[in-house]
This record gives sequence, structure tokens and C-alpha cells, in this order.
Amino acid sequence: MKRWAIEEKRVLAIDPTSKGLGFVVLEGPARLVDWGVKQARQGRTRNCVKQADAMITRYQPDVLVVEDTAAPGSRRYPRVRKLLLNLRTLASKHKVRFRTISQQKVKKLFAVASAATKHQIAVAITDQFRELEPRLPPFRKPWMSEDERMAIFDAAAFALTFYEGLERSKPRQPSEV
Amino acid sequence: MSAALQNYLRTYRKRAGLSQDELAFLLGSRSGAKVCRYEHLARRPNLRTAFAYEVIFRAPARELFAGLYQKVEKRTLGRARLLAEKLSAAKPDRITARKLAALRGLFFATGVGSSEKP
Repeated sequence: MKRWAIEEKRVLAIDPTSKGLGFVVLEGPARLVDWGVKQARQGRTRNCVKQADAMITRYQPDVLVVEDTAAPGSRRYPRVRKLLLNLRTLASKHKVRFRTISQQKVKKLFAVASAATKHQIAVAITDQFRELEPRLPPFRKPWMSEDERMAIFDAAAFALTFYEGLERSKPRQPSEV
Repeated sequence: MSAALQNYLRTYRKRAGLSQDELAFLLGSRSGAKVCRYEHLARRPNLRTAFAYEVIFRAPARELFAGLYQKVEKRTLGRARLLAEKLSAAKPDRITARKLAALRGLFFATGVGSSEKP
């Protein structure tokens, strides 16, 4: 199997929301290429797949990263689970590798930066990518519903966790042992 | 390496926090539609616009149009290799040697062997 250097992988990470999807495109863990939220109000699942299809065609990623809904503790709605299955089919159609990342892995990675909550993780991501600062939603109060911009940060967290996994799976050099 | 994107204009624009209309103003265009077309590869900017992009984003055109640059580089090196082969087969003299040295320098600078196929 061909091994890729981390910075050589272009990753498209997608996080579906109730109104559409948030996405980020990264070329290595330190280079953010694009990010945003796409709206898909009517026929959400079909439109989200259409949007993802357009993004894959445009960015030609090496890997498509999404949340692992089969992992214990995942509370995703059945519509989103179905959408993620459709994205898997889409990835195979485009011959793009498909990877799922569990929320547990994300929390484990960001625990190092003392970030436990979603907002703290979003702030930690903003520290790394200053260009995301204007998209950082305000702290969510208990009576507020989740800001759709949070999907950008969730997608970024999945992508960064994916890169972290690559880094760890890299064979060590003799001098490092 | 996975091939670079054709251009990174959208990345640089979003990093700068500029809207398409604002960038169009800086480029001297009337609306952001043209900027949108550049970003979606529906239209290729002319040299004047490419320089304007360089000025606005303070990044060289080869980075802004990375994919296009790679394509042009590959094709140019291919032609340079053909020319080097043609010159090598010709009668050797001082001028030919000078041209061949320039072409070898080109291959060396870009990290491509003259015998390597483009």
C-alpha cells in the first residue's frame, strides 16, 4: 500500500447540520484551503450529497473525513446517518478514500490542549487557524440552539484528528527510537 | 504529492476576509462575478489581473496559481528537453555549448534530469 506524507494529503472534512453541512479543506494539518457552511433546506439529504459531489469535483481530495456515527456515544439523527452512508458511496464513486473519526478520538486529541467542550475545541482550532476567527460562534447558552457555523469547527476537528492519526501511524526513524 | 489546485485565489481572499465585490473593486472590475469566475476556474485572469492579485495578497503568482504553474512548468521543461536533444545532435560550437549549459541550469534549478521524460 502506498504511504503518503501528511502534508501531501488533501482532506475534505464534512459535518452535516440540520440545515445543510459545514466543511473544511486542508492540505496538511497547518494549511487551511477552504471552509464554510452550505445550505440545503429543501430535500436536504439529496442536496447535501449534491453539494459534497461538487466539492469533491472541485477540490479533488485524497480523503473524505466524516464523523463515525457507529461509535458509542454518537447521537446523530437517522437522516444524518443515512447522509453519511450516501457520502461513503459518493467517495467510492470518485475513488476518494473515506475515513470516519469518532467524537471520542477528537476529545482525546483536544484534551491535550485542555479543550473539553465543543466551544473550547473551536477556540483551540481558531488559535491554530486565525482565519477562522470571524466564524467562531458566541458561547452557547443553555437556551440557545447550536449555531450552524459550529459545523465548520467540528469538520476541522475531524480533519485534525485524522492527521494526528496519520502522524501516529508513521513508522519511527531509527534515531527517534 | 497530490496535485496542487488550479488556483488558491479563494483561499487567499477568505484569509484576507475580503468579499468578492471588495476584491473586484481592488482588481478594478465592476462586480464580484468576475472574481467568482476566476475562483471557479470558469475564466482565466489576464497578466494584469494576476499581478494585481500578487499585489493584493503579497504572494507570488506561482503560489496563487499553483496548479496552472505546475502544468506550465512541466510543459516548458518538456520543450526544453527536446531543444537540448536537438542541440546535442547538432555540430558542437561555443554558442551551442552555451545554450546547452543554460538548459542544464534550467533542469538543475527545477530538479529535473535532462534525460528524464516530462
